[in-house]
Order: sequence, then C-alpha cells, then structure tokens
Amino acid sequence: MKKQDNSYEIGKRRYGTDSIVKALGCADFLADIKLPQMLYGKILRSPLPHAQILNMDTSKAEQLPGVKAVITAKDTPGIRFRTYFDVPGNKLALENEKVRFVGDEIAAVAAIDEEIALEALDLIRVDYKELPAVYDPEEAMRPGAPQIHAEAANNISYYIKREFGSVEEGFKDSDYIFENRFETSAVSHGFLETVGCIAQFDLSSNLTVWLSTQNPFHLRRQLAYIANIPEARIKVKGLHIGGGFGGKTAMLPLEPICIFLARKSGKPVKIINTREEQLSTGRIRYPMTIELKTGVKKDGRLVARQARVITDNGAYDNKGASITTQGTCERFIQLYRVPNIQFEIHVVFTNKQWGDSFRGRGAPQGIFAIESQMDIIAEGLRMDPAELRLKNVNLPGEINPAGNRITSCALRECIEKVVAESGWKEKRGKRNNRGIGMACVIHTGGGAALYGRGNFSAALIRADQDGTFHLITGETDIGQGTNIMLSQIVAEVLRVPIERIKVAKADTDSMLPSLGTWGSRITYTAGNAVLAAARDLRQQLFWLASEMLGENIEKLDANEGKIFVRGQEGEKSVSVTETISEGIGKKGIPLMGKGYFEDKNVIPRDPRTGCGNPYPTWHFGCQAAEVEVDPETGKVAIVNLVAAHDLGRAINPMGAEGQIEGAVMQGTGCALFEELKWEKGRIVNPNFRDYKMPTFSDIFPIKTILVESEDPDGPFGAKGIGEAGIVPTTTAIVNAIYDAVGVRITSLPITPEKIFSALRRKACTQK
Amino acid sequence: MIQARLRINSETYDIPIEPQETLLDVLREKLGLTGTKKGCETGECGACTVLIDGKAFNSCLVLAATVQGREILTIEGIGRAEKLHPLQAAFIERGAIQCGFCTPGMIITAKSLVDEGQERSREEILESMSGNLCRCTGYIKIIEAIMSVIEKTK
Repeated sequence: MKKQDNSYEIGKRRYGTDSIVKALGCADFLADIKLPQMLYGKILRSPLPHAQILNMDTSKAEQLPGVKAVITAKDTPGIRFRTYFDVPGNKLALENEKVRFVGDEIAAVAAIDEEIALEALDLIRVDYKELPAVYDPEEAMRPGAPQIHAEAANNISYYIKREFGSVEEGFKDSDYIFENRFETSAVSHGFLETVGCIAQFDLSSNLTVWLSTQNPFHLRRQLAYIANIPEARIKVKGLHIGGGFGGKTAMLPLEPICIFLARKSGKPVKIINTREEQLSTGRIRYPMTIELKTGVKKDGRLVARQARVITDNGAYDNKGASITTQGTCERFIQLYRVPNIQFEIHVVFTNKQWGDSFRGRGAPQGIFAIESQMDIIAEGLRMDPAELRLKNVNLPGEINPAGNRITSCALRECIEKVVAESGWKEKRGKRNNRGIGMACVIHTGGGAALYGRGNFSAALIRADQDGTFHLITGETDIGQGTNIMLSQIVAEVLRVPIERIKVAKADTDSMLPSLGTWGSRITYTAGNAVLAAARDLRQQLFWLASEMLGENIEKLDANEGKIFVRGQEGEKSVSVTETISEGIGKKGIPLMGKGYFEDKNVIPRDPRTGCGNPYPTWHFGCQAAEVEVDPETGKVAIVNLVAAHDLGRAINPMGAEGQIEGAVMQGTGCALFEELKWEKGRIVNPNFRDYKMPTFSDIFPIKTILVESEDPDGPFGAKGIGEAGIVPTTTAIVNAIYDAVGVRITSLPITPEKIFSALRRKACTQK
Repeated sequence: MIQARLRINSETYDIPIEPQETLLDVLREKLGLTGTKKGCETGECGACTVLIDGKAFNSCLVLAATVQGREILTIEGIGRAEKLHPLQAAFIERGAIQCGFCTPGMIITAKSLVDEGQERSREEILESMSGNLCRCTGYIKIIEAIMSVIEKTK
C-alpha cells in the first residue's frame, strides 16, 4: 500500500487515550475498586518446595471472628488445568495432595479486613511430609531425581525433536562449525500493579469478575472451565491495567480462588498480591539452557543450525512447551537465512515457580544464543559482525524451511541505519574498555494462529448524534497505546478530529470476542478490523450525505468533520454531525460500522513436520549498544543505544518510541540487574530493593529509528512493535562488552562479578 | 482507635484511624483517594508518593497518626481536567504515560522538585526521581516532561 502523503491522522504523535485521567489520578485500577460488603481474601501458600500434604485443619481459622469463608480443595470442583487452555493440566487452584513449589496455593480465607484474613491464615494447621526437591532441570532429568508429577517420567513435561532440511548434510557442507552454550535467567515481569481479582455473585448466581487482564474473553472461558460455571453466567470486566508484559494473559490460581471464596461466603471478595507475593510466587520468564551448534561457509553464509534446549518449566505446566518450540526454537529457523535446522527440546519440571509468557515470548532467550554466536562466528571469520548479518539477512517474499512466509522486511535497512547512526565503524574493535555491539530481532508483527485457533479481530463503530464515535473491539489496551492507535485509524478514515473517537472499556458482556493482547498483534489484526469498520461507516455516512446534498456518492470526499463534493468544499457540504443526525434522528437508522479481519493466509502447522504458516507478518529490528566497562569492578555502563525497528508504518510514532524505549530499559534490567534467586527453593529477593529493576539513574540516550517497510496487508502498512524492542537488547549489550574488554558472558544476568572473574581468567591465561 | 484530624488537599478530615494504619491505607481505604497507588508497601517503588508540607514521602512508610496537622498533598489535589498542573500537562503531551500506575507518584515527586526551585543538574534530578519506578516507559519521556517544566519555571 502506498504511503499516503495526505495523511490526516496516521503518523501524528498522539498521547494515549485516558492519559488525562491517569495524570489526574482517577483512572480505576483493580485495587481501587471497593464494593459494598466486600471481603478481603488471603491465600495460604506452601512454605516447602516439595511435600505431601498429610492433613489440613481449618477449624480454628473458621472460628476467628470476622472470617466469612475458609476454603480448601474440597470447596472446589477439583479441575486440574493448564491455564492457557480449557483442557486438563496438572495444577489445581488449591492443592490437596502435594505441594510442588514454595508458594503453591493450598487454602484461602475471606474476612472483613486484611489483618483478620492474615491472622486466620496463621490458624490453619497443615501437616506436611517433606520430600526431596530438585531445582536444576538437568538434575531433574537424571534417573533417581525426585519425581514431581506422577505422570512425568524423569520430570519431563515435554520433549520434541524437529528437523528441517538435514543438519548432518549441512555440517558436512560447512567450512567452520561453532558450538556454544548459553544460559538465561529467571526474571519477573515487574509490572508496578500486582495481580489480583475481585469476584462477586449476584442473587441469581451470575458472576462478575474484575481483573487486570490482557485477555478478558479467554479468561472468561478458563474461569468457566475451572469454576464449573457456564460461560454465559460470567462477566469479566477489565479495568486500567498497570502493566502486563505477558504476565496477565493467562489465568492465575488466585482468580478461581477468589471466585470460590465469593461463592462460599456469598459476598464479593477482593484478593490482591502483595509485592512480596508477586515476586516470590508469581510466574516468571522461562529460564533456558541452549546449546547451539552452527555451521558456516568461509564467506559467512549460514548452512546449518542445531540446538538443544532445556527449559526450566517450574512446578506446573503453563506455556513452557509452546514458548520453547515457537518462541525460542523457531527463531533458529527464522532469524537469517538458514537452510538446515534441527532443534531438540526438553521442558523439565523443577520445584520452583512455574513460568509464563514474558514480552518476547521465548525469543529473547533464542536471540541471546543466536546473536551471541553470530559475533563469535564473525570473529572466527574475521568479519565485521554487521557484515556477517547482512550476508545472511532475511529478504521480503522469502519462505523459510518451516514454510513461514515473510512479506514486508526491512532488516537490511535496520542494520544499515544502525551502523550509520551508531558510529559503528569508528567505535568497534578498540578494546579499550569501551565497545559497541549489535543484535537483531525477528518477531511476530501480527500475532499468530495458535492453539488450533485462527487469527482474527472484530470491531464495531457506533456513530452518536453529537458527532462522536464509540469504538468497540475485543482488544485490551494494557498501557501500550493501542486504544489511541485504533482511534487514529478511525479518525483517518472518517476524517474527523481524534478527540471525537471514544473507546469502549473491556467488558465481556458488551465487547466483541477477541484473542487478547499478546504477540504484538493488535496493530495488525485489530487495526485491520477497525479499518474495515471505519470504511463501512464512512460508506453509510456518504450515502446519507449524498442524499442530503443531492449529489452522486462518487463525487464526495471528507475532511475535518465535513463531507463535501470534491472541489466544492465551501458550497456543497454537510458536517458529519449533521449527517449522523439525519440518519439516527430523522430516519431512525443506526449508524454502525462493522469490520472483521481474519488472516486468510494461515497454513496451520502440521503436527508431524512442524511446517506451516500461522504468522501473517514479521517485525524486524536491529539494536547497537555502546558500553563502557570498568575493569577494576566489572561494572558496565551503557553509554547509548541505537534501535532501528521495521514496524511497517508508524501510525503513532510517539507510541512506538515509547514501546521501544520501555522495552530497551526492561531488556537492560534483564541483562544487567535482574535475577530471582533461590535458596532451598525459596526466593530470597522478593522485593524491589534486592530484585533491582532499572531506575532513572540507569537511563542512557536511546535513539529510535522507525523504519517503514509498508506491509502490503497491514492497516496503512503497519505491523506490531510491542515486544520486539526487548528481544535484542541484552545480546547487543553482551556483544558490546566483548568488544570493550574481550570477555564473553554466556550466562545471564551479566553481573560485575562475572565480568571481573572473566577478566582475571583472561589475564591469567594470557600470562 | 484514634480520632484523627488530617489535612489533605486543603481539606480537613476528622476520621477514626488505627495507630498502625499507614497514610497510604487511610487515603485509599478510608478516604477513597485512590489516586495514590500501592506498588510495594516497603518504600521501594514510589507509587505511593505524597507531599507532606511540600516534601515527597512514601506514604506506605508514614503512619497516618503522626502527620496530623501537616499539609498533605495527593495527586487529586494538584490539578483538575479544566486546569491541569503543568507537570500533568507535560506528562500527557510528551507521551510520558503508558499504563499510568506510576504516574501519580511520579508527578508528585517531580512537583516537589519543581516547587523547591533549586538549581539542579539533570543528573541530580535523575537521582532525586530514582525512588520512583516505572516499567513501561523506560523513563525517557518522563524525564523529558519533567525537564520541560523545570526549564519553563526558571
């Protein structure tokens, strides 16, 4: 689609919808909601990493004045779930036989205030028989390791081996082979708003659930399944969300627990995680160990990639299998052109927090391996790392060995822009404690057709008589700015001021079915649905206006809230507001634009071969970080970072920058400061003092370059941007450190201790 | 129970409170002033920042009973839709607000710096703000918003 020179809204810098109420402090988040007679819920969690529950006595807790309900597993339907699916899994909302990590939910209390609820928890007596625990996935796989789930031999939750082409032939054909091992760390999403839930049954047993969720419809389905309530009787109300980053897409045990407490007590119940609970029991980014073997020709062409990945699943199943396969390992096929790929995955149970999707959905781990190794290869071949990447760069129109099709692709331009803007050539190779390193990203630009579903979105736009428009979708703005971006699309098509577009709040009773906010899918899928709805409404308005003006509809155009005969804007025009009045007021017809998008190009993944094309489009990017390393302490300071991202078209450049800047800082935190630490299965740093997220003192100049490849199928050429910014940051920093001081850190996080030790070792071996 | 008298946003409130209740909980639970957020309850994230006699405090670490008679300012008291505080306007215009959870605390802390009127370098301002965490924006547009107001106030 050609870039419009006469864009009305597309490309304008816009602040997010609801920025004003957020600045005023009156945006309602979950914790702000208070209902009459509301009770406060608290969850009793296992203090042991692995134990049998022999006996539980809740009688004293039940007798405490102010306690209105105490529940254990017997107060629930006992359905084992897998969170992201309404299919059987291995987690109960409240465990009754065994606990498998410190934090595992076993009972809950609802009381008239939090203090009484906490006191009641202390009165619940639990007798455990402690079992040996295992924390390392490789240890957990060995014979004789403690068995965490009866049905999972060797604690293996999932195993798969896939090959595309032949790596054996590929390695034979290679001039050089590189083998390296990489380890990623356990990090927390770190959203400022912890998770929680409010549940209320009305007198006819209809359930309303307030949630901070990226996925209201999906949650409704899951809650219906777990709580054994018909979906039609459940209403999920979304509120403003204080950050999601993938950690609020799937059901958390806290949510059905809240429902069971509400049912038993007959009153609304609110449960909110404390920060300590969030960091010590919340789900985490899946830590992985990746062994990557890559064969190359001496001119730098990649020939074969073979990967062995071990994923630390934690105590229960969530998305370990899908994230490792699709998010991590498919990147071995997708990033750069590689004809032969093989990956082998073990997803392994351990007695620790279970994992979840986390911005990038497995790609940060995969890219850490790929992009670290590309620099190792570049050094081996005595090539500029940028040149090596350009040698193997993805090109538009290509289909990779797994059948994924690339449509728009400006990866080459991203790399070249980063080289040009970062001072790459001048800064590289000095080894004077200052260095520059790069890493690239390929990421989903429009979500995917996963889990047996299609990839779709729907939108309705209602015109109101005051000339405003009410946009109803199924999608959720989690703060990243999708509401304003979708409003810009409406304003662009209808040619009305953006202030006239209002976006409906999430509510499963009145919004449209949706797949949720993940996979960087909203711009592309919802954007296309909204575009279709806006065009539909525009036709209806034009039809009315043509009658009002007595002119042929083909002659009409719109601008600045008016519809007019082209070339006669002054004389023959009506306002949009008048037109709506004509329709609704005079003729009594509702003016509703309807739009639907479905990715018609989906080729479902063949379960035998792993081939298919569930992804409509790809986002590409490149980042270069410049760092300074203090050799005396190993401390790393980031001097600046240049990020070039191909997002197809920047509908809202300010929003896109905000996504990249936020993602880069989050990636920096994951790279340098953040690590959840366990001792005997217990997280020992569940607070912001010891789990260190970046602060104002850590910022550095970030130059964002928005590259517009103009996707042929994206709305106005646009693709997603929400996640891609975090994917290459860590590895750009790692590569920059190598350029600065010649040590390569292959396990995250990059601590000063690791750099200092590596420098000492290097100095010793050099002697 | 203590019968407390609190001055919040230039209004006087006579309310019964427990001696161990934090100012944060009194604001949110007793007075319905939910603009001030609870992010960690241990003074590490700044989401609960309020001004007490013009100085920024983590209200999760302040016992409400001890600040009777002091002038407390929360996010609800610094601007209205028809008349935004310059910091609120700057945060909005410059895209410094994404999820908005950290925003009240950010604006309150920034206000204390702006009102102080002291000559501060950018590094000093960054350090003064470093008690307010944000996970969404990466801080870049927030510091730009704050600096723009400080520049204008000079």
